[in-house]
Amino acid sequence: MIGAVELGLIYAVMALGVYLTFRILNFPDLTVDGSFTTGAATAAVLITAGTSPLLATLAGAAAGLAAGVVTGLLHTKGGINPLLAGILTQIGLYSVNLRIMDGANVPLLRVDTLITPLRENGLLGGAASIAIFGSLAILVKIALDWFLHTDTGLALQATGDNEAMIRSFGVNTDRTKIVGLALSNGLVGLCGALIAQYQGFADISMGIGLIIAGLASVILGQAVFGSRVIIVSTLAVVLGSVLYRVTIQIALQAGLDPNDMKLVSAVLVVIALVLPRWGVFRRVGALRSLRRTAATTTSPGGR
Amino acid sequence: MLSIQSVSKTFFPGTPNERVALDDITLDLAAGEFTTVIGSNGAGKSTLLNIVAGRISPDRGSVVVDGEDVTRQPDYRRARHLGRVFQDPLAGTAPDMTIEENLAIAHARGKRRGLGLGVTRAKRELFRRELATLELGLENRLKLKVGMLSGGQRQALSLLMATFSEPKILLLDEHTAALDPQRADLITRLTAEAVERHHLTTLMVTHNMDQALRVGTRLIMMHEGRVVVDIAGERKRGATVQDLLSAFEQVKGAELDDRTLLR
Repeated sequence: MIGAVELGLIYAVMALGVYLTFRILNFPDLTVDGSFTTGAATAAVLITAGTSPLLATLAGAAAGLAAGVVTGLLHTKGGINPLLAGILTQIGLYSVNLRIMDGANVPLLRVDTLITPLRENGLLGGAASIAIFGSLAILVKIALDWFLHTDTGLALQATGDNEAMIRSFGVNTDRTKIVGLALSNGLVGLCGALIAQYQGFADISMGIGLIIAGLASVILGQAVFGSRVIIVSTLAVVLGSVLYRVTIQIALQAGLDPNDMKLVSAVLVVIALVLPRWGVFRRVGALRSLRRTAATTTSPGGR
Repeated sequence: MLSIQSVSKTFFPGTPNERVALDDITLDLAAGEFTTVIGSNGAGKSTLLNIVAGRISPDRGSVVVDGEDVTRQPDYRRARHLGRVFQDPLAGTAPDMTIEENLAIAHARGKRRGLGLGVTRAKRELFRRELATLELGLENRLKLKVGMLSGGQRQALSLLMATFSEPKILLLDEHTAALDPQRADLITRLTAEAVERHHLTTLMVTHNMDQALRVGTRLIMMHEGRVVVDIAGERKRGATVQDLLSAFEQVKGAELDDRTLLR
């Protein structure tokens, strides 16, 4: 169970990236499935080649960032629909990731990673590791909170909230969208690099369906912990990510097949989307705001 | 300050739906001049405003703001010099952000947006003072999300956001048309005060002849893409709605005569 909390805290970095695009930028970005693996692959290959794990991890984040820029350019300069732009990058990245790893996976078992010192000192699976991964997630959360309250961050928020308005105040919304997508996928790439080191390998399929895990974390967190202001929202996302992993762990321990977990996640997101449409639940404010999170492509307030 | 030089715009050229929106319009606004624009539907008022704002690019002619030709600049670039209030009270503000965050966005117009905090203590004081001029009590609700405000309050905030950073040109696009008469009066009064206070060169499109006469220093009537009436100063102050209506009838009548002659 402590392993699930650890995983939840690391995956919180990815969930914060998903929150940035889906919730702040109002851009349903599907690049995530690809850029996560790109971050993992980049870090793993560099570590096995002898680069310092810290540098390799940062390179993983940079690779994710670049993937986000590609999606941003496809959408803004190419005029491609947001969903399609993300899918195109994601599919393209599949080949790129195979190239980076020169195969379907890269093991990290006999090399030093960022996790190695924790493992050797027996710190994994205890209060110490939770404190370390927890501080990492909180650090990223605080950095994101700060950024969103700078002049650039406010412009980015407004881009997702009222694009015509922010353009009328002199902001190039193409640029804010690209910055948002780059940051988001940078976080996702960083998370991929950390997960690869945590589990001891990078694998071509490790990013599949990740966007749903990210969305489920955002939805779960905001349903339980609220979303009135940004600093609360981001904390909710971190806790939501932990809650999601713990829920999955409980389901597994209850005897559910690990292969069914993607379906369980998908159903969870569908329920969160559909519930607010039914009479009894329609008046529940928290649920309505959830709907906004995930239903970014449908018309607002669609009864 | 604002110079519109021989601007023409035709929508859907070469199709059966072809419509001339602006027909070789030339208009010069001196610094501090407050011009109201009236005209019937399809007269080209909104097209004129959108061409100045950069939402629509003209077929011919140029737009010059304070000596700088901005005709080829995208809308967000020339927005450095332009303040805008839209007809829809929901269009000018970001609903999910707080009042102070909205004001911070407006405050940064024309400046480089970097990584400094958007809302600082000093700015908050400034926002509080500015909001107090609206006399709506918003100065005590800085942290309220703008989506919680009424249409009239949001339009008042939009107006403040468009004006307090002192743009070179203020563009008002029927900004009281979607409000009830009481709220419209309030916004009209606030507009006149803000323009006066910041000495803004203003172009205000309106449907309401009475409003067009009451505020501003110059009045323009448009018809079928051309300026047909242009009065300022004493003549504008003395004009009545009846004068405008008869001037309009005259223009339409003259046109009718032309057509009859051509036949």
